[in-house]
Amino acid sequence: MTIGLPRALAYHRYGVLWETFFKALGGRVVVSPESDPILIAKGESLADSECCLPVKAYLGHLDRLVGNCDYILAPRFERIGKNDEFCVRFWGLSDLARGTFPGVRILSYNLKSHRPDSEVSGFMKMGKTLGKSQIAVLAAYKKAKQAQLTADTRAGVNQRLLLDSPAIKVLVAAPPYILRDPAMGGTLLRLLAREGVTPIFPEACGRAGCRRASKATSQSLYWVMNKEAIGAIELLRPRVDGVILVSAFPCGTDSLVNELVLRREKRLPVIQIILDGQEGEAGLQTRVECFADILKERRRGYA
Amino acid sequence: MTGRTSLGVDVGSVSTKGVVIDGDGNLLAEAYIATQADPIGAAKQIVASLEKQLGGGVKVESVGVTGSARRLIGAMLGANAVKNEITAHAVGALARHPGVRTILEIGGQDSKIILIKGGVVVDYAMNTLCAAGTGAFLSSQAARMGMRVEEIAQAALRARHPAKIAARCTVFAESDLVHKAQAGHSKDDLMAGLCQAVVANYLSNVGKGKQIRPPIVFQGGVSKNGGVVRAFEEALSAEIHVDSDSHLMGAVGAAVLASKAQTGVSFDFQVSRRPCRTTARECAGCANRCEIVTFFAGQLKIDSWGAKCEKGSA
Repeated sequence: MTIGLPRALAYHRYGVLWETFFKALGGRVVVSPESDPILIAKGESLADSECCLPVKAYLGHLDRLVGNCDYILAPRFERIGKNDEFCVRFWGLSDLARGTFPGVRILSYNLKSHRPDSEVSGFMKMGKTLGKSQIAVLAAYKKAKQAQLTADTRAGVNQRLLLDSPAIKVLVAAPPYILRDPAMGGTLLRLLAREGVTPIFPEACGRAGCRRASKATSQSLYWVMNKEAIGAIELLRPRVDGVILVSAFPCGTDSLVNELVLRREKRLPVIQIILDGQEGEAGLQTRVECFADILKERRRGYA
Repeated sequence: MTGRTSLGVDVGSVSTKGVVIDGDGNLLAEAYIATQADPIGAAKQIVASLEKQLGGGVKVESVGVTGSARRLIGAMLGANAVKNEITAHAVGALARHPGVRTILEIGGQDSKIILIKGGVVVDYAMNTLCAAGTGAFLSSQAARMGMRVEEIAQAALRARHPAKIAARCTVFAESDLVHKAQAGHSKDDLMAGLCQAVVANYLSNVGKGKQIRPPIVFQGGVSKNGGVVRAFEEALSAEIHVDSDSHLMGAVGAAVLASKAQTGVSFDFQVSRRPCRTTARECAGCANRCEIVTFFAGQLKIDSWGAKCEKGSA
C-alpha cells in the first residue's frame, strides 16, 4: 500500500502527521519532489486560470504522484476553531483533486473543528478505507500527532535561536507553503541571504499564540494562515528589523490583510512582495536589495 | 564630504545617464542619451562623451553603476559600487538637498517614492505591475497627438480648464484622451489633464498610505516636465523642488556611493573603445532552466550571472 502526499499547501503544516500516520499503519509513503518551474507549468496547465499560484503548484504535485501510488491524500480543510477558517481554496482541495484526476483513488478527511473530534474521526475513516483495525488506526494517529507536535516545537526552537543572532533580521510574514517552496519563496530567501539578512518565519511563535496576537491588528479576521502571519508581527516586533509580507498572486485573503498591515504598521518598515510565478527576478532583486539597505541604514542611524 | 573623483552611470530602460564628480561632489561632466535597448553601446557612448568633456587630466578613481542594467554595465566598467536605483536616487538627492524628507521619482518605466528621516531612507514604494503614469506612457501619448514629449509641459501650462482623464490605467487614460479630443477639448487642456492623471495615478498607486512631508524633491526624467511638477504642487499643496540635474540624480548617487566606498578602482576611459560581448544560454543542469548571461571583454570572461546555483556558474 503506497500513499502519495503532494508536497504543497497543507503538507508544510501537517506533513509529519501524515507521514507518521501512514507509516505506522505499515504503508509506504511517497512525497512529490520539491517544486520546480516544470512542475508548476504542469500545474498551471491543469488548473483554472483564476486559481492562485500555490493551488496551481498543488495540482502539479498531484500530477507527479499519479501512477506512483495506490492512494493520494487530498483532505479538505475547513476550520480549526470557531473563528479560525481556512481560505476557501482549502475547502475545495479534495474536490479539485477528484475533478482534475478522475479515476485516481483519493484519500480525504474533513478538518472542521467546531467538532473537536473531526480530525480523529477523519483519520479513523481513512484507516478503515485502508482496511486497518480501529485500535491500530487510533494508535497510529496518536503517534503521528505526537510526532507533528515534536516537529513543530523543534522548528519553533530553531527559529527562536535565529532571533538571538546579531544579524539584520526580517520577519517573512507568509504561510509556510510559500516560504518552504523553492519555486516560490526560495528565490526571495536566496536574495535575502545574499544581502546578509536572516529571515525569521512566523513559526518562531506558536500558531495559537499568533492567532490570538493577530487581534491587535484586527478583531474580525478569521483566516487561519493570515492570522498566524500577522500575529507573528505583533509578537516579534521588538526582535526584528523589518517585515516582508509575501503573497502569491492572486491571493484574495492577502490582498485584504496585507493592505491592512501596510496601513496599520507604524513602527517597523514593511514591504509587500507579490510572487506571480513569472520569470525574471530583476524587480524582486531591486526591492530586496533596497529594503536590506534601509534596514542596515536604520541600524547605523538609530543604534 | 571629501572622496575620490568618481564616475557614476545610471543605465535605465529608456535613457542612460553618466556623470563625473570631484571629491566634493561637484559635477565635472555629464551626459544623457537614449538606451535604445543597447545598454553596452549606450554606456560606451556615455563614457566617450564624458572623456571628451573632461579633456584628459582628470583621474577617475572609483566607478558606481545603478539602473536596471547595473550588473552588466558594472562588469563592463569594472565598478567598485553596483547599487539599486532606490538607494542611488536617495543618495543623489541627499547630496544636493541634505534636508529632504520625500523624494518623488518618475522614470521611463518605473516610479518610486522614497521617504527619508535624518538623512536615512526609512521607507520606499515602487510601482508594481504596470508602467501607467511613467515617462514611457507620457511620450507615447504625446506622439499620438503629434507632439514632442518636451512640448507637453508648455501645452499643459497654457491650459485653462484641464480635461478630466481617468488615472487608474493607461488603457482607460488613452481611451479617455481620445474621447475628450473628439468631444472638442483643446490639446492644451488634454495635456494638462494628462499631467494631472499621471500625478493622481502616482499618488494613488505608489504614494498610497505614505506620509508625504516637505521638503519634497522630484526627480527622474519626468521631473523635467513642468506640467507634471505643477500638478504635483496643486495635488500636494506644497513646494516641489526640482534640481537642474534632476534627470541625473541616479548617476550622481551612484558616483557618490562609489566615491565613499572603502576601496576604489583605477578607471581607464579606453573601455569605450574595447570590444566586449555577451552570450546567453539556458542551463540544462536542472528543471530551473536558469538563463545565464556571460560577459566577455575581448576573449576574456569577466563575469556571468543569472544562475541560481553553482552548476550554472561554470
